[in-house]
Amino acid sequence: MSETMFIVGGWVAAGLTIFLFSFLYKDNPFFKAAEHLYLGAGMGWVFQTVLFQTWIPKVWEPLTKQGDWTVLIPTVLGLTLVTQFFPKISWLSRYGFTFIMGYGSGLVIPLTISTDLLKQIGGTMAPFMVSEVTRGNILSLVNGAIIAVGFICVLFYFFFSVEHKGAIKKASNIGIYFLMLYFGAAFGNTVMGRFSLLYGRFDDLYKYSGSNYFYATHVILGVMVLYFIVDHFRTRKPAAEEEAA
Amino acid sequence: MLKTRLNLAVLSVFLAASVVSAATPASQKNAPTAPDLSGFAAKDMPYDKGEAVLLTWPSGPADVPGAVYQVYAASGKDWVKVEEFPAGTKLAADVELPFWAWDRHAALHVVQLDLPGFFNDFKIGNEYRFKVKYVNGKVTAESSELPAAPKPNLFNLARLNNLLLLIVTTIVFFWTVSHAKRKGGLFIRRIAGLDAIDEAVGRATEMGRPIFYSTGIGAMSGVPTIASTSILAEVAKKVAAHDTQLKVPHFDPIVMTVSKEIVKQAYAEVNRLDSYRDDINFFVSQDQFSYAASVDGMIHREKPAACFFIGHFMAESLLLAEVGATTGAIQIAGTEQESQLPFFFTSCDYTLIGEELYAAGAYLSKEPMLQSTLKVQDFGKAFVMVSIVAGSALLLAGTWFKLDTLVTVVKHLFKAY
Repeated sequence: MSETMFIVGGWVAAGLTIFLFSFLYKDNPFFKAAEHLYLGAGMGWVFQTVLFQTWIPKVWEPLTKQGDWTVLIPTVLGLTLVTQFFPKISWLSRYGFTFIMGYGSGLVIPLTISTDLLKQIGGTMAPFMVSEVTRGNILSLVNGAIIAVGFICVLFYFFFSVEHKGAIKKASNIGIYFLMLYFGAAFGNTVMGRFSLLYGRFDDLYKYSGSNYFYATHVILGVMVLYFIVDHFRTRKPAAEEEAA
Repeated sequence: MLKTRLNLAVLSVFLAASVVSAATPASQKNAPTAPDLSGFAAKDMPYDKGEAVLLTWPSGPADVPGAVYQVYAASGKDWVKVEEFPAGTKLAADVELPFWAWDRHAALHVVQLDLPGFFNDFKIGNEYRFKVKYVNGKVTAESSELPAAPKPNLFNLARLNNLLLLIVTTIVFFWTVSHAKRKGGLFIRRIAGLDAIDEAVGRATEMGRPIFYSTGIGAMSGVPTIASTSILAEVAKKVAAHDTQLKVPHFDPIVMTVSKEIVKQAYAEVNRLDSYRDDINFFVSQDQFSYAASVDGMIHREKPAACFFIGHFMAESLLLAEVGATTGAIQIAGTEQESQLPFFFTSCDYTLIGEELYAAGAYLSKEPMLQSTLKVQDFGKAFVMVSIVAGSALLLAGTWFKLDTLVTVVKHLFKAY
């Protein structure tokens, strides 16, 4: 790629980043432009992914190169969904939807039993598989017991067909504490992850502010600040008009 | 002097002869022997999708330290060495199958070969040849070549526990349905987030502003999306009854089509089909962050009175809920994604946590059929609780008192294969 393309790429990247960040101040035409560009680019990306990673290798090539006509069955079922656009034959789409729902349920139900029931139970019981209690594993046993108690109390919170009073309420309240502890930890963890993404953008903005990119970040930021100042004075109502309003 | 030397020489010869004569039988006794590989068998791996073969042969006294087994496979003329392992390893007890599907006590060496990893032109049903070779220094033995063709199996016996649980769940479901029908409904505890729907719709009506409802970025086959569409139906009914504006931006076109039918049906049920518009549900983008950016823009500009974020959400959860919060909208969220729930807690007025989302349909509609599904879920939770307490106690007792069979049974019963 030529140097000019790198510079242009840098300006586009810095510009779109600043345009999107400008939403933190207020809605503006730069944000709208970036938003619609993002939407269009996103749809374009999805379209080419479906075309080149699904339609061509899974429908076109099996049909034309391997003569595998069985791919027509899911293809026709998929095409029935498009009949929604034609009211007279839109009833056909129900066949496609029925298949999707049936297939999805068939896939999810055994998986749920496997992951939500068996794996959870097996994983909670696993720490109790010790040959003897020693100084080395006593903490692991205590840890396992805390997890088991927490798990059971959280399940009490999610009992819907039983009124939460008495012992059930107490267990459910303990469950809420366990849930909040988890949510707090998850929140901190995710926020740190998001900060690393933010640092990434700032790092790029810093890179594009260099002389080799002709101070892209500074120039774009300056132009936007100028726009906001002009826009502020242009759209500001006269004081008398404001009072009358 | 000479006589003494002669005596010493004779003595040495006798000593050497006695050492040699004593050593010979012992070395013959410890000489490595080759194993009998006539029991080598190659067959399709049971309970799999058709890409593996199972090779077995008897283990025995030849499995000494230093000895190795080499496994060879061929699809044509050329043999490929696919495995080499110490002779004392890869036994029947090491196979990851439950006790009801596999004899763990058999004195066998067992090798499971996933063939696509070795043959680029692998095809299910094709026949491949296998042989095994024993090597211990200069002592070697080789089995005969045996063919085997991998094929997919209809039934996975290893998942019998899964099937049994499914059957029990189904029986309990039908029992609770009949029970709920007889009693005319079941008790469901209060869920604050769902009670707030009336408040949210009422607020939107008073303010004359729209309601935004996002079903998330899940596919229609996802359980949270299905739960979300059932809540959408109830919200749409209330919206239609109050003649308020509803906007449902979609990520998935299939979810959009289903939602269209649901919203139309909801309007019809409250006799307000005249107010129904086809653009209540509209497609935005199937790219996660494009969807978030676009919905954020809409929320910011249209300043809705209420926002619902109910369904499967990932990283866009905070992006959406934060913008909704800045507009002052009353926000009700719900997702099964525990990593996103903290963001909804911090930026929404009410949050449905995981299972509460699934309970919403039954809670709002009060239909006995749906309420009975909640009862089944509660039975499932009770089963999990009892299993954890009883299983942990049995495991502790089994390992403490060296009851290996008990430990194996409990471990295998609660293992997902």
